[in-house]
Amino acid sequence: MIFLAGILTPIERPLTAVLEWLHGTVGISWGWSIVVLTVIVRILLVPLTVKQVKSMQKLQEYAPQLKAIQQKYKGDKQRTNEEVMKFYRENKVNPAASCLPVVFQIPVFIALYYTLKDFEKDVLPNYPGSSLEFLNGLVPNITDNVNAHWSGYLLLVIYVGSQLLSTFLMSATMDRTQRILFLVMPFAFVFFIIRFPVGLMIYWVTTNLWTTGQGIITRRMFPKTQVALPKRSSRTEAAARAEPEPAAKPKRQAHAQGKNTKTAKPAAKTQDGSTAQASGSGQQPRPVRRRKKKGPRARR
Amino acid sequence: MRNLGVALVYGYRYTVGPLVAGRCKYHPSCSQYAIDAFREYGLLRGMILAGWRLLRCNPWSHGGVDYANSQSLFRRRAS
Repeated sequence: MIFLAGILTPIERPLTAVLEWLHGTVGISWGWSIVVLTVIVRILLVPLTVKQVKSMQKLQEYAPQLKAIQQKYKGDKQRTNEEVMKFYRENKVNPAASCLPVVFQIPVFIALYYTLKDFEKDVLPNYPGSSLEFLNGLVPNITDNVNAHWSGYLLLVIYVGSQLLSTFLMSATMDRTQRILFLVMPFAFVFFIIRFPVGLMIYWVTTNLWTTGQGIITRRMFPKTQVALPKRSSRTEAAARAEPEPAAKPKRQAHAQGKNTKTAKPAAKTQDGSTAQASGSGQQPRPVRRRKKKGPRARR
Repeated sequence: MRNLGVALVYGYRYTVGPLVAGRCKYHPSCSQYAIDAFREYGLLRGMILAGWRLLRCNPWSHGGVDYANSQSLFRRRAS
């Protein structure tokens, strides 16, 4: 862990600097500084969301083609994924989020953890008389662990709630297993989050609420009758029924030729391609589901 | 040693992964790519490949199909 702390110093420094600026210059309490810090981080990420939303809107033009691809490789999840991805690439449209911004947030989380852990020792002495209270003393000390005061537990409940809410809004494009995992996760997390500083909880709740708000807004930007890439999950039966069934003409037949030349592991395919390769889902073979509205990707 | 890398990725998948969830614009996903890379090229080279993949998986790329063993940085391991 010490080695981790060393690596993260370049992130920790600016993080602390922003917090100190918000507290010292702007003049808000430490707790609110964390809230504002979170909002700043999320605002920085907004352009990415906008890009993604635009890409998703553009995707609707290609809906029939994508539907055709999905029909063509029905039952072979792996292959469907490949073809859909290839299609995205050729048409320079990709609704998926990128890994980089997501992965970048992990060090931010961890750096904030370290900042808060040594806060009283490293930062607070520079601000004599400043209070670590949040919300008029409801939270007596934001660097304390969650389980130190009842307000921590309250925040924990809010955290789980906000996590479930934001997951619910985001989970539109996940498959069943993933969705269940996402819904169970916050509860499993409680056990070690309980030893985190309360300030981290503030960050988390804020970021979740942001995600939720963002999700509600972006949802409004899509018409309900999306064809190839349903916003709602593949398993929502009701949505599947409600959707008008367009006659899927396989317009992209031509595109599907020549795929083997590009595919890296053409030989490894077996009868049920969902299980055979090392890549793909990386999980136990799942029974092939026959839903029409299957999302194109197995997992991230 | 390479199993350490694979274990780390699984560790990520089942802990932080769901929390910071997004979706990957590549197939296979970055985490699966990392697992494949570790298995095929060992810890160090796998890490380089996975790191490079993460950098490529940015908002300005278009994603696509990209398997670990179709990389051209290292010589392919005889299997």
